[in-house]
Parts: sequence; structure tokens; C-alpha cells
Amino acid sequence: MLHRDSLRLLLCVAALAVSASSSAGTKGTAASGSEALRGTWVPDAAPRALLTSSGKAPPLTAAASKLNAERRERLAHGDASFDPTTWCAGPGMPRILTMQYPFEVRGDASRIVFIHGWYRWFRVVDLGAGTADPPLPLTMGFPVGHWERNTLVIRTTGLIDSTVMDASGLPHSEQLALTERLQVLRDGRLEDRITIEDPENYTQPWETVLTFHRDAASRVTDDVCPDRLARGEPAEQAPNPQMRSAGAKRGVPAEAAASNPAVEAARLAGVWEPKTFGFMVPNAPLSAAGQDIVGRNAAAMQSGKIMQTAWVSCRPGAVSTMTMPREKIVVLESADEVTILFEMPRMVRRIRMNASHPENIEPGYVGDSIGRWEGDTLVVDTLGFNGYAELDARGQPTSPKLHTLERFTLAADGNSIDIETTIEDPEYYTQPFTIKRSWKKSPARHPFEYDCMENPRQEDFENAYYVRERYRPVCMRVEGEDSALSKMVCGRAE
Amino acid sequence: MRLGIRLESILPWIAAACFARAAAAHHSTAEFDYTKQVTIKGTVKEVQWTNPHSYIQMLVDGEGGEKIQWSVEIGSPSLNVNLGWRKNSVKAGDVVTMNLSPARNGKPYGTLRVLTFDDGRTLEGVAARVGAGPGVAPPASPSAAPPAAPKEP
Repeated sequence: MLHRDSLRLLLCVAALAVSASSSAGTKGTAASGSEALRGTWVPDAAPRALLTSSGKAPPLTAAASKLNAERRERLAHGDASFDPTTWCAGPGMPRILTMQYPFEVRGDASRIVFIHGWYRWFRVVDLGAGTADPPLPLTMGFPVGHWERNTLVIRTTGLIDSTVMDASGLPHSEQLALTERLQVLRDGRLEDRITIEDPENYTQPWETVLTFHRDAASRVTDDVCPDRLARGEPAEQAPNPQMRSAGAKRGVPAEAAASNPAVEAARLAGVWEPKTFGFMVPNAPLSAAGQDIVGRNAAAMQSGKIMQTAWVSCRPGAVSTMTMPREKIVVLESADEVTILFEMPRMVRRIRMNASHPENIEPGYVGDSIGRWEGDTLVVDTLGFNGYAELDARGQPTSPKLHTLERFTLAADGNSIDIETTIEDPEYYTQPFTIKRSWKKSPARHPFEYDCMENPRQEDFENAYYVRERYRPVCMRVEGEDSALSKMVCGRAE
Repeated sequence: MRLGIRLESILPWIAAACFARAAAAHHSTAEFDYTKQVTIKGTVKEVQWTNPHSYIQMLVDGEGGEKIQWSVEIGSPSLNVNLGWRKNSVKAGDVVTMNLSPARNGKPYGTLRVLTFDDGRTLEGVAARVGAGPGVAPPASPSAAPPAAPKEP
């Protein structure tokens, strides 16, 4: 009896020791896996058609096979309109991983974020416990992840069925569940091994593998797809010159390329939502030129026209997110960057910490932002705007001379952030002025999604007044006659 | 069907709708006449969960027996989720009655106030929450007139 008890005790101690060791090991490798994953990745191949990991065709059901064959036939005749990315709408998963654009991985202990190079899309992978409960299927779904040693495992559900899985039009239903296993290989490449389950379209679960490499020259920039359409260019540029130059299959060693570790004592990191929406910037000291534009806008509206601003045309600038807060934001902090992901309008702001503005900034919608901490206040200085943004619903204008200074102050209880934004734009305002907005902590695990380009409707533009010619849409949703469903039709609206 | 509503999550929208014509400029709400209400009954042809606004396309019998297609704005995906809508709350083929505020241009186009199923269940659009509507008459105060609880037959 004594012998049996001793043995049991020994086994228990051994099991506990193994468990503790395993737990510590998992934690340690998760941290190193997270570090290795950070940074910018460029697709090795960006396949137009996904294959299984053994190079075979996916196990499509008969109906799905017929649909895919029809789409391939259309594609052969130059018709890719089954793919929403062609009009700049949401790409879905894993479609965005097959696009010829880099993506950047950032994150902290609570979430891993994929910032994709194509039209401001991002994925926020929640690392909390439990599964997602999608209230409505969305383009990028509701990814939940965990670490298994140095492998990030992501389970994504809640994916809307209006997207395709690759450029060949591989279909999926809303039953689609993706399980990704991401790890950095010994040669420095990133491997994403994806298991695809969708019983409506595939006879069995199947696996595909995508690989990516680092390229020091690649950057994820503020990509605005509708501008390409307006210039008569395709929504997805091919091939990406950055990919072409980085044709090497071997990447930069992970330890050399990993950067931007999350700060330990993050102050603003988390998910936030506006305390109140803001649509108006009252009492702005408009110059004569500014008054002229606002007066013109008002006259158009009084005549019954519907005003179309940058925001409505899916080209919002960073300044409009300061003046018209909407929906949730996700903030990530690292030593050299504070990153803010905006749900609505969708955009990513990168605030380089303790840095200087470059000599020659290429003007853009989000500008160039640098930040510094003054005590517990984050001070953000932004310039380099392109002038295509309105401050509010009256269409108060901005110019490339716009310069903003924001002060993000966390409340003592940590549950809200007050943001003061000082706006200076001598082109349209006689003096600098300041507006205040407040955000509160959000209980959400994921931001929702704002797929702006999916629905410029014919009705909305029949009576439109475009504040700037650039805002005129190229593609619109046109309702079908009788029983025919609606469809997107591209061609410059007049 | 019991529809859960997070009041706090839609209050900002109600406040936004109270921005009178300014909000109208931001969205397309200027095109609707919130002082009027029209009730139509028909068959849902298509539900479009799209941004910035979601729509239901509905086929309604005209006086001469012809089918008239109505486009009814119902809100936006994020707003409607907070109002209790889910992907399959309304489906193509459903026969529903919609009380809406019509477009000013007289076309078969409007913004949803209340959708009622044949069995009495209801779903609300944001127009139900803004009194007479933005920019037309004083809107209902959210504090004075909180959104009603979801209705069941």
C-alpha cells in the first residue's frame, strides 16, 4: 500500500513538473514566436488559384466545381467581376493573402494584427479565450488565435460568402472555417498552413500553404484603391514591383528583421469606441476661401442635392477621423510606433515615436505623423496631407497646408481617452482652432467592419453634388429588373 | 423572436441623427421626408448587408397588378446588429410589411421605420428612433423617449 501511494505521489510530482515546464516553455516560445512574426512580409508567389498542400486541385463538390469552372471561363474572357476586389470591395479570406501586396504583423499580448497592403484592410486576431460569436458575417471574419509553442494558430469564422477565396473565383459559403498555423521557418520565411472547412463547397477539409519572405524595401503604405480605379488602373496592381525585386525565396533571418516589440507598460493599447459621434465642427474660423466653399456646399444642399465628400467616396483622411469619430478603434503601442486602426472609416494611422518628419513628404490622406509622450499625454504632430478631406458634414475644406497637433490623454481610471486636436490650415482658416473628442474602452473583442466600396448606390448618386471631382464614383450598385439581383457596374458616373 | 438591443450602443446614432441637416449631408438622409410615413407590403427580393447603408429590395403589387420594386434603407450593418438584426432576420422570399419614410423625389425608395412579419414580429430601422427625422421637426429626445423594447406578438 505504501509503495502504491509513493508511486502515485511520484507520478503526480512528475506530472506537475512536466506541466510547469511545458507551460513555461509554451509561454517562452509564444513570446519568441510573436517576436519572429512581427514585421513586413511579402508573398513568395501570390497564387491566382489555390491548390492543396500536395499541389492538387481542391476537393470541390460538383456544384462548386461547376461554379468555379464558369468563373474561370469568364476570367479567360476578361470578366473578373465575380471578385469584389475588382471594384475595391472587401477581399475576404484567404483571398487577401493571395494578393500581390505585402502585409505587416504587429501586436501585443492581447491581439495580433495583420495590416495588409491592399486598400487599408486589416485583421485583428483576438488572443483571448473562447470562440468568436459572429453577429453578422464580415469580409475578414472574426479571427481568434492562440500560441502553440512558436506557432500562431488562428481560427476564423463569420466570413461573408460574397467574397471569393482566390482570383480564380474559388467559392465558399458562410459555413467556411479557416484554421491557420503560422510559423517562421528556419530559412526565415513565414509559412501559413491553412485548413479550409466548408462542407457546402468542399467534399472534405483541405489544406493549402502560402509562404512569405521579408524584404527590407517593402512597406505597407496607405493604399487607396478607388484612386486607382479613378485613374483607369486595375484595383489590384500586378505585379507589385516590391515583389518582383524580392524574388528571392530565402528571407532575411527572423532575428535580424523582427522589430517593434510591444511596450510593456502600454497606456493607450486596446479597443476603444467614441463616447459620442461627431459630425460637426462648429465655429471654425473660416477664411474667405473657406467660406466660399462651405457656402457653395450649402447652396447645393438647399437646392436638394446630396453632398458627396471624401468620407462618402471611401477616401477619408486622418483629419476626418479626428473630427468625426465613428465606431471602434484599436490602438497598438510599441517603442517606436503607436498604431491606430480605425473601423469606420477604415484606415490605419502610423505614429512614429520620437522621430522627425522627412524633408520631402509625399502628400497623402493620412499624412505623416510623429509622436512623443509628455507625461501621460501622447502628442501627435501630423502634416503631409493631400487636401482631399473635409472636416465635417458641411464639407469644411482642408488643403495640403493642413497641420494638426493632437493630444491623447488617458483618464486617471484608464477607461477613457480625451483627444484635443488643434487644426491649422492657413488656406481655409484664419487661425488655428481646437476641437475635443472622447473615447471610452470598448468591451468588443474585434472591431466591426466598414466595407465602404460595396455599396455606392445608383440612387445616392443620381442627385449628387461632388465637393471634389475626385469623389465621383467609378463603380455603383445597380438594382436588377424584376427578379434579377443587384450588381456592381463600373464606369465613370456622369 | 426576442431581439436584444444595447441601448448605449445606438444612442450615438440617435444623437447623430439629431444633427439636423448636417447629418443629412453626411449620409443620404436628406433625400427622405421624415414627416411622411408610407406602409407597403410585399415580398423580399434581396437583402443587401452593405455599407454605408443596408437595403432591402422588395417587390410590391402595383394598382394594375404590376410588380413595383422598392429600395428600403434599413440602417447599416453595425447599427442593425446593435438593433438586434442578424444575417437571417429577413430573407429573400419573406412576406413583410414595412412602415417607412419615403424619398422626397417620389420614387419607390425610403428609409425603414418598422418592419412587421406576418406573425407579428417586428424589426426597427433607425428612422423609428429619430422622431420626425433629422432636419424636419424636433427629434425625439433619447432620454425622454428611449427605444422601445423589442416587440413580440
